[in-house]
Amino acid sequence: MKKTVSRRAFLKGGLAGTVAATTLLNSKSSEAAGSFEGYPEGMGVLVDLTRCVGCRSCEAACNLEQGLPEPAKPFDDYSVFDEIKHGEKRRTDETRYTVVNSYDVPGMEHPLFRKVQCNHCQEPACLTSCFVNAYTKTPEGAVIYNSKVCVGCRTCMVACPFYIPTFKYSSAFDPKIMKCIFCYDTRLKDGLPPACVEACPQEALTFGKRSDMIEAGRQRIKMNPDKYVDHIYGEHEVGGTAWMYLSSAPFDKVGFDTHVPKEPILNSVKDFLSIVPMVLTIWPGLFVGFHLLATRKDAAKKIEEEKKEVKS
Amino acid sequence: MRTRNKLLHCALALAIGTALSGPFTANAMDASDAPDLITIDSLTNLYGPVEFDHAMHADLADCALCHHHTTGIPAQDPNCLRCHATSGEADTVACADCHTADRFNKDYLESLDDPMLYHVDKPGLKGAYHINCIGCHVEVGAPSGCQDCHVMNDSGQQMFKTGDYAPDPQDHNNGGH
Amino acid sequence: MKIFSKQRPEIPIADHVRPDGTAWSLKEKLFLGLTPGEYMQQFFRNPVNWLMIAVFAVGVPLLLQRYIYGLGAVTHGSNDYPWGLFLGFGLFGMVPLSASGFMLGTTVELFGRKDFKPIERLALLNGLLGYFFAVLFLEVDLGMPWRLPYPMFVSLGPAAVLFLVAWHVATYLSVQVAEVLPAFFEWIGWLKGKRAIRKYVLALTVAGIILSTLHQGALGALFTYAPSKLHPLWLSVNFQWIHFFCSSIFAGLSMVIVASTLINRFASWRCDDNFKNNLDYITIGLGKGCSYALITYLVIKIVAVAHDQEWAYLLTGWGSYFILEMVLAVIIPMFLFAIGCRNKQVGMIRFAALLAVLGIVWNRLNTALFCFNWQIYQEVPHWKEVWITFTIFALYFLTYRFIVYRLPIVYTWKGEK
Ligand code: SF4
Ligand code: SF4
Repeated sequence: MKKTVSRRAFLKGGLAGTVAATTLLNSKSSEAAGSFEGYPEGMGVLVDLTRCVGCRSCEAACNLEQGLPEPAKPFDDYSVFDEIKHGEKRRTDETRYTVVNSYDVPGMEHPLFRKVQCNHCQEPACLTSCFVNAYTKTPEGAVIYNSKVCVGCRTCMVACPFYIPTFKYSSAFDPKIMKCIFCYDTRLKDGLPPACVEACPQEALTFGKRSDMIEAGRQRIKMNPDKYVDHIYGEHEVGGTAWMYLSSAPFDKVGFDTHVPKEPILNSVKDFLSIVPMVLTIWPGLFVGFHLLATRKDAAKKIEEEKKEVKS
Repeated sequence: MRTRNKLLHCALALAIGTALSGPFTANAMDASDAPDLITIDSLTNLYGPVEFDHAMHADLADCALCHHHTTGIPAQDPNCLRCHATSGEADTVACADCHTADRFNKDYLESLDDPMLYHVDKPGLKGAYHINCIGCHVEVGAPSGCQDCHVMNDSGQQMFKTGDYAPDPQDHNNGGH
Repeated sequence: MKIFSKQRPEIPIADHVRPDGTAWSLKEKLFLGLTPGEYMQQFFRNPVNWLMIAVFAVGVPLLLQRYIYGLGAVTHGSNDYPWGLFLGFGLFGMVPLSASGFMLGTTVELFGRKDFKPIERLALLNGLLGYFFAVLFLEVDLGMPWRLPYPMFVSLGPAAVLFLVAWHVATYLSVQVAEVLPAFFEWIGWLKGKRAIRKYVLALTVAGIILSTLHQGALGALFTYAPSKLHPLWLSVNFQWIHFFCSSIFAGLSMVIVASTLINRFASWRCDDNFKNNLDYITIGLGKGCSYALITYLVIKIVAVAHDQEWAYLLTGWGSYFILEMVLAVIIPMFLFAIGCRNKQVGMIRFAALLAVLGIVWNRLNTALFCFNWQIYQEVPHWKEVWITFTIFALYFLTYRFIVYRLPIVYTWKGEK
């Protein structure tokens, strides 16, 4: 409620109120500006595209675990890999938190498969862009969402560089954001691996501490330099993600956006956030000064008139 | 499409089991010491058991191809040789003896923190089977569809929403916008 | 109204009492001094009102559909395109067009340019209504409109840009209500209230500048959350907020020029001589401001392209589209304003203002919709979405007209002040 006070003061006192507001906002934007390294003990998943065989077991397991609606086609129907909408392969939506897509890579005998789900960023754009604090990054590494406070502005969907949060457009009374939650409620918080990881026959999804996953990824690359591209996607992308990928084909050939910034999305917003306190402190003085300068002739006239009045 | 489908099917290929736990205790054993037929039945919540013809596979490949440095000819890979040049035959050679069935269990994950541990990225039992079997099957053109090795049972069909549980296409033909 | 105002000396109402000394009742004031019958008669004589009725006839059922079956039923909003026309036009377009309030507030109250006084109230009203309807558009677009106050009182996410927008738009809306209230108090004849507000004019104006700078900028900064989605020519991570702020200056001024032109032309019975006689002079003054703001805007746009080394993009199809926008929406109005001011050709300035208004809406739509997701596919809004947008805009028009017809906005109240 501090905020309301500062607002009232603002309207009344101009300068004084502004200072109050500045200190308030200042502390907030500096909180935003201080970078957050993520939880070191957080868990992660290493997705190895060279191991994935596109069986869609993870999709089936997720559907069951999260109680999602019945799919349009059975999970062992592989014609879904040919589905194209708006020129794009399948994507996550309100009925599926994860999808596997197939990519034919020139020069490779077999297609590569890529599983898509929330990457559970270390400094999530969805979280930092949310003005009602609906998102939480848990110490276990999951990025979860609270539909009870969400107003449905969908900024998180704009902000997520991976197009992950989806919205239940079909509902007028109970719309909400739907996305992978790392099976937080049912598994992760008890130290269990997510359903999709457990279902994967190929161990294409390896679950463990994020730091261990990076280590494992490096080891795999080092042991098989001819097999892997020398990069762990997600180690640094958008400031690091809990879910990371290894691939045998260049990442942009298998559906990854290789142009996402290396820094957290929040960093590109900092330029603006940092001017906020400046405007709040400098503007009032500046414009009141302008006012006095601009109207000094009037003021002088007034004084003259008053003097005259006194004399007469 | 056919070959791709096969490849896809192969994913859930082998049923997982702790079944490879035969009496592999003697040193300097050879393939004849192993049972000819092994039933792998740990994925029976979704699939029928796999009848693995060990004798047939032992005729086709060197033991070390699957058993690494634990039995058969010594390891070849220079990296493995760094430790296993002289490690000799292992006491036990069953897959499950090294590849844990509960790969992502908390305690197991904790144990990986041991700074002296080299094998921090060892696949669990299910992963070990599938990676090894399917990898080879695809390479030599052997069957590699999931149900080529194990047939899905009722609860599998339920989870995969297939067979008796397949969605009615009628419900889904309006496809949204 | 034109006819009535010619026939009857007491119309339009500009005082608490008739020429014969009897007081107007509130109801009579509301009916503009006409009987309800006469009022309806003139209402239906106006073809614009028939157009409005047509827009609402379709628009209201569509709105109902939206509130019963969800956004998916009336928009092309999708998981790739979370924002459509309601925000692209309603929020990102309406807010810069409403920058007029703080611009003229500053000019008149802070810089003491009393010569702009005749248009100050129109500018303030234009600002107030623009913001109010931007919020209304937001209400149509929000998934859970009943939770509008949540970011203020229930669950705060203070590090988010949108938090700033929400707070500043809400605060500024109250500032603007306070700024327009004196006109209302004059009209209902409650002078105490007017005097009470008068004391705070300076504080209100300064608050207005701060809040406007920040939230106009913040709307731009919102897009810096999507550095990999919005086409680089429309996004400058470092300068986006300045682009938005600077363009809101000429957008707001141009909108006042357009509004005052329309009012002067179609509701001249309501304007008093002070307004009519000063309008050309004021329009030239505003036009001058616009041309300065436009050249600044053009320069910082080019600076942004140079700073991010985006010259190569200019040679692509997107680049041509960008250049087209720059020419039609910035360079041409800029020259028209400059020439118009130099040669005192008010008509040219008015045309330039119209171009600038359309241009800024176009720019905001490009940013929010057309150049968003440039690497995947482009989305075309649903016709129902377009229609609902028109419906809300029609409501804006009607409210605007309703107030201008009644309150002392473009005329001076003759009764006690
Ligand atoms: S991938 Fe998207 S939804 Fe998931 S944590 Fe990152 S920003 Fe949020
Ligand atoms: S972690 Fe859980 S919610 Fe996320 S994709 Fe896997 S099964 Fe689905």
